[in-house]
Amino acid sequence: MSVKAYPTAWAEEAALREAAGRWQRLGWLAAPQRAAIEAAYPQQYYRPGNWLRLGLLLATGFGISSAGISTTLTLGLNSYLVASLLLLAGAGGLLEIIIRKSKHYYSGVDNALLYAALGAWAVFWTELLDKLHITSASTPLTVWALAGPSLLVLLLAVVRYADPLVAATAYVTAGVLLVVTVLATALGILLLPFALALAAGAVLLLLRRLAQRADFLYYRSALVVLRTLALVTLYLAGNYFILLELLTKSDGPGFPTWAVALFWVPTVLVPLLYIALGLRRADRLLLGLGLLGLAVSAYTFRLHHAVLPPAVAATLAGALLTGLALGLLRYLRTVRHGLTAAADAEVRPLVNLESFVQLETASVPGPPVPGFEFGGGGSGGGGAQGQF
Amino acid sequence: MPLSPVTARLLARLQAEGHLPSAQAQAVATAEAIRPFSLHYELRALLYLGITLLAGGLGVLVYEHRDTLGHTAITAGMTALLLACFWYASRHRPAFTWGEAPCTSIAADYLLLLACLLFVTLEGYVQYQYGVFGQRYGLVTLLPAVVFLPLAYRYDHRGVLGLGIAALGTWVGVSTAPLAVLRGDLFQSELALPALGLGLALVAAGLASEHWQRKPHFGYTYLLAGASLAEVGAMGMALETADWTHGGGLALLWLLLALGLALGLGWYARRTQSYVFLLLGVAYGYVAFTGVSLLLVLLLGEAATVLWPLLFIYFPLTLLGIVLLFVNSKKILRRS
Repeated sequence: MSVKAYPTAWAEEAALREAAGRWQRLGWLAAPQRAAIEAAYPQQYYRPGNWLRLGLLLATGFGISSAGISTTLTLGLNSYLVASLLLLAGAGGLLEIIIRKSKHYYSGVDNALLYAALGAWAVFWTELLDKLHITSASTPLTVWALAGPSLLVLLLAVVRYADPLVAATAYVTAGVLLVVTVLATALGILLLPFALALAAGAVLLLLRRLAQRADFLYYRSALVVLRTLALVTLYLAGNYFILLELLTKSDGPGFPTWAVALFWVPTVLVPLLYIALGLRRADRLLLGLGLLGLAVSAYTFRLHHAVLPPAVAATLAGALLTGLALGLLRYLRTVRHGLTAAADAEVRPLVNLESFVQLETASVPGPPVPGFEFGGGGSGGGGAQGQF
Repeated sequence: MPLSPVTARLLARLQAEGHLPSAQAQAVATAEAIRPFSLHYELRALLYLGITLLAGGLGVLVYEHRDTLGHTAITAGMTALLLACFWYASRHRPAFTWGEAPCTSIAADYLLLLACLLFVTLEGYVQYQYGVFGQRYGLVTLLPAVVFLPLAYRYDHRGVLGLGIAALGTWVGVSTAPLAVLRGDLFQSELALPALGLGLALVAAGLASEHWQRKPHFGYTYLLAGASLAEVGAMGMALETADWTHGGGLALLWLLLALGLALGLGWYARRTQSYVFLLLGVAYGYVAFTGVSLLLVLLLGEAATVLWPLLFIYFPLTLLGIVLLFVNSKKILRRS
């Protein structure tokens, strides 16, 4: 039995088809060439469009829950241990069958089954430790007892199924373990920002190594999620506001004031660095996270230095952003510094998604009635940050 | 920038397996490496965020300064900005067509949106401060829709169309955001009938625009907003009229209407190959169908007590059915 649940050829050939489609749209490949590539590497698995995947995920998820509840009630099971083991075996077994026989590859059905199996495992393990009275007290050791084996199971699941959400859960679990361990040391919070930054940096380096592997494409979406989380961690580890929150909540040793003030440097510089690197390396993820980080940093700053009333700040920021975006749209009408404002030919237009977002965020408030205190608000909404 | 290792590998494989001559593979590699990095969607997102912040900020500012001299300056400034935006947009407006007009200028698109947002704020403020429309609040909330909808058609602008629809929603008192149903905003019983009415009207508008080829690409926006609204309205009416201890005949009719609408969504999904409408149709249809079954069992009264254990298998089996329906939807949607 292979370590990987899905044939690696599926991901590899999907990447070939996708690249051929992109190159043809860019005019680098003749249509018959693309057709030949599509014919040579046909899609051998089942994965519908995103809306349908969402529908399948929900229907399977609710189906498993209702089947589980019905089975439990019918059999009169009153032990979580037995019920969760049954669910684990059932969902896990069905998952393997669905992949092998029906060739589901992230169709929503296999994702839901995987999550159900892992959820069942978590319930089983929590319940077992509880029955053995291991987790009655909350100490770093009990957190390790709970999350340590869970992390192992999650990592094994990532290696086998390469699911992005499971990868994210594994990352968060590992993060919790790290935080708990660091906080248990004598230095506690003093160490935390550095430990988190170091760990995130290590993950980023590891991811660069993994990108060289031959089976990278099989793990691509999981690795993108991990990279996103590591970059976010790296930013948050140096964030001034987070540090301040932690310091006010803890009673351990704190930083001297000048050292706290030093955290403004990464709070401002890390997003700028992300943006610069993102632009230079044509890295959309870095660029998007940098922009988002800059917004968070600006918000952080306003929380601590109320330099302007909110309405004035929003107006100025809005004017600035509008002006900047309009200026860049004009400036980048021709390609400069390897950047362009034109839409990629490779990306199919997202018109329907855009209408969806605009419809979702559109709001036309009724006028306030005189004598009724206007409570702020305003029209429109946030939405549509980063990429669609 | 250097070629990414993945692209290099894909190229090498295509070349090795005889799908690309080596000269062409080299050309693709070079073209990939020198291809400019597109900031198109990032800039659009920034622009959207910018105009929303700007309009929102100004909207609050004008009320905060209503008692000072500053408010004249602010309203004058907003009016000037509105006119400037509108002037810019109208200078770049596309020639009118009932089809889809080519995008002439991204800046004009968003500035028109900004002009509309400013219009809402200014109109509200003028009413608040001077009471131009007196007590006719319905008129105040209807006016933006009356202004935006023709603008959307003239400028071929789906964003402004969305604002116009939202304004109609405000007029009858409901939110037209497609996800509002998840936030539970729509489940106030007194809003059910207006929601149903507006929803049906929007659905009709969407179908009409596609049928008569009058801006057929607006159909998606109309139907997306209208379908959810109509469904939630019909279900709201069912909840309003249902008597869960004895079953209610009237509630049954409302649920059947909801079920019929869901079937209509399925029909539409099949006609347009649109999976989002298939998903909506199945989701609403499932809820309505479950409600109808439940009410029928309740109507049977005592005799139906033997049916209750069926509940144990009802949900697993029906949900399995939905999964199978989705998996085979390609066949179902294609069969014409």
